[in-house]
Amino acid sequence: MVDEKRVKSEVVGRVLERVRARAALDGGRPVEEVVNETLYQERERLKRSRLERAESDRAFYARVQRELPKIAPVGQTKLLKEVIERYAAEICGHFDERVYTVTTRALPTALNLLLTSLSPQRVLRELSVLSNLDEHLVLEGEIESLKALEKLGTVVLVPTHSSNFDSVLMGYAIFRMGLPPVTYGAGLNLFSNPIIGFFMRHLGAYTVDRLKTDPLYRETLKEYTTVVLEEGQDLLFFPGGTRSRSGAVERHLKKGLLGCALAAYRNNLARQKSEPNVFLVPATLSYPLVLEASTLIDDYLAETGRHRYIIIDDEFSRWQRWMAFLRGLIEMDLRIHLRVGRPLDPFGNDVDLAGRSLDPKGRPLDPSKYLENGAGELVDDPRRDAEYTKALSARIVGSFRANNVVQPTHVVAFAVFELLRRAHPGMDLYRLLRTVNDDLSLAQADVEREVERLLGEIATLARDGKLERSSSVAESDVAEVLRQALRSFGTYHTQPVIERRGVRLHPGDPRLIFYYRNRLEGYGLLGAPDLVPSRREP
Amino acid sequence: MSDPSRIVVLGAGNWGTTVAQLVAAAGHEVLLWTRSEEQRQEIQSAHTNRRYTGEVEISARVEATTDLERAIAQGAVVFIVVPSNAFREVSRRLGELARPDQVYLHGTKGLELGTHRRMSEILLEETCIRQLGVLSGPNIATEILRGQPAGTVLASRYPRVQEAGRRALQSKDFRVFTGDDVAGVELAGALKNVVAIAAGVADEMRLGENTKAMLITRGISEMAKLGIALGAEPSTFFGMSGIGDLVVTCESPHSRNHKLGVALAKGAKLEEALAAIGMVAEGVNTAKAVQELSQRWPVDLPLFHKVHEVLFQGLSPAVALEQLMTLPPARDVPQVLA
Repeated sequence: MVDEKRVKSEVVGRVLERVRARAALDGGRPVEEVVNETLYQERERLKRSRLERAESDRAFYARVQRELPKIAPVGQTKLLKEVIERYAAEICGHFDERVYTVTTRALPTALNLLLTSLSPQRVLRELSVLSNLDEHLVLEGEIESLKALEKLGTVVLVPTHSSNFDSVLMGYAIFRMGLPPVTYGAGLNLFSNPIIGFFMRHLGAYTVDRLKTDPLYRETLKEYTTVVLEEGQDLLFFPGGTRSRSGAVERHLKKGLLGCALAAYRNNLARQKSEPNVFLVPATLSYPLVLEASTLIDDYLAETGRHRYIIIDDEFSRWQRWMAFLRGLIEMDLRIHLRVGRPLDPFGNDVDLAGRSLDPKGRPLDPSKYLENGAGELVDDPRRDAEYTKALSARIVGSFRANNVVQPTHVVAFAVFELLRRAHPGMDLYRLLRTVNDDLSLAQADVEREVERLLGEIATLARDGKLERSSSVAESDVAEVLRQALRSFGTYHTQPVIERRGVRLHPGDPRLIFYYRNRLEGYGLLGAPDLVPSRREP
Repeated sequence: MSDPSRIVVLGAGNWGTTVAQLVAAAGHEVLLWTRSEEQRQEIQSAHTNRRYTGEVEISARVEATTDLERAIAQGAVVFIVVPSNAFREVSRRLGELARPDQVYLHGTKGLELGTHRRMSEILLEETCIRQLGVLSGPNIATEILRGQPAGTVLASRYPRVQEAGRRALQSKDFRVFTGDDVAGVELAGALKNVVAIAAGVADEMRLGENTKAMLITRGISEMAKLGIALGAEPSTFFGMSGIGDLVVTCESPHSRNHKLGVALAKGAKLEEALAAIGMVAEGVNTAKAVQELSQRWPVDLPLFHKVHEVLFQGLSPAVALEQLMTLPPARDVPQVLA
């Protein structure tokens, strides 16, 4: 288990050393300027913050600001150290294995207890329904590889991110796969969530405050991640950085955090650690329905065109939505799929069960050579490493897409949206979404024809390993896929996403049709254009 | 694996031999790999490579070999200078031999037939190589072999590759510029060969300097339009591998693609023209690749399409020119470059 104190002092020491080394360079940034930047960035952030913690931050930075102009360079370095220590203290998790064991072993029950504490009578009635949540999470893919590699090095789990529910499911899935606990990188906003904060605080989560824009904070966060990996602690973070607002599978990942895997590997090699390897394991979570779909897609479509990076108040913090969601999941026998992808090394090479990196043709190679100069010496080269991380990111994105499990809701939403789009040629997305309403119905036969074509194309992609299908998509006929999707669409969301009346289908909520169809974006299905610009996802 | 510190050149054709000479001129020992035992012996004993570089005396610093395994085992920096239609095969063999700490540079202009892959993409598919780069520019081998000053661009995303390549090649007569747009340099190097065919046609038809300048200018526009659609940086087309290489290929009677255009303008069929040149004219395959690519990417490329029709559909060069001159009104500088 990680020694928290040691990690913290290592992180502070390294960041401090690096800032000072940069300051000593010709034309380098002086320490005073670095602290001033922090003061500026933090003041801007605190103007908008209403969190409790903000008060103590304000007091702290007021003091730093008073002292900074008056003190000698030695004192400036001391202030810098205080700032880094403060950041590090906030980031560091509070992992408690005992809590992990208790909570994960009986997650559904624990969930119930938590919910019970919020509204006992109501939740008690639901208890019986919830006890078999287990059956509704399908674990598949390279689970054996994951288990094998966990013993051979340090594992970084990098899942897709659709919902705050992901954190709960991943924690539970890790337990069910029989893996030792992992450390999470969780958004600060999750900690203030009444339901999930408890789990987060106790599952070894460390805090990521995405509102902090200070470069020094980012550097401290990356260093923390690197040091934890060097300590051999398995890690989980969402490389997309935030929940997919559009519903599409992530296409752009945060290279900064991903690069920590390579940094840790390099540091391990430099210290000649006995098990230096770091393995990245992508995982795709595929939901038939998404808890916060409505808030997420609203944010995506926000008129300003610039969505909020952090959403604090959404379905996730309202337990009634949780109950409706879980009840829907269970009553309709829906399944969330967690597909583990093929493990990768920090350079984006495939890794086999024995932990060996493989070249594109499956031949073993020695990855440490990528960091050497030809004479067997390790050399530092940030630009080179950024290229390796870019290659890794592209492989993870490819894995996300190939392990995306298509659900009936995605198929029907895609087909319906495509029919609506074609019926309004030349209309841009926003106008289309405003124009489509409940009165604009489609003939069921037309939808079925489109669904049939789509299922054929999906089957071809699945055969080529480019996409996966849930059993309800792979084994059902058109009518059954349609029936299942309509049933799902009619239950959880406040109004039916698509509704059948007689032989016609009515688009009840075009925004959500768009959201669920986006899960199949980018595969070139039905000759439809891409509607989610890949750069728009943060 | 004794002393993996040498500079290796794979391919002893016209350009490969020239690259070996450049490396030797920069003061390094070179290992030059060729498939042909006869050629190896000629280079080793007579210090010439008559078929490709005529009477030029090959430097004593150049050692020829037919042993690829040994060459790669000893190589720290490897130049791949083989025709594009042999690139996949050589890459496959490299897959068994290459090491992740080696630096690879290629000087092959063209796209793979059928797949339209760039050469660096082939290397990434077939081998563990990551630290790679591409060499391209206005580099007529004959002039370089005579010691006339020239410049080139070496593009890589890896500083180490840029540095190693520059050190291997830079001499008082050869200046190496660096860049990081690998895709752009590869695409520019491949696409300009098609324009060169048109330039050869124009020269043979004695159409004058205005026509030629128009061809070159429209040529670089179309190259940029397609290149950018395929992932190149716009500015690359203003560099050594873009306008630099295009001008020289269109002006120089040494260029094989230019020679092909000349032969076509004289009324030769494609097969006859190719047979007469006796070497690979990359522009022919690239014209075919561009035709296929433009089905998938909606880019307007009238000049490229006409060259394709002349090459493969028997359109006469004179008619092609007339059709180009009477196209609907068009912008001067394409939007993507404006």
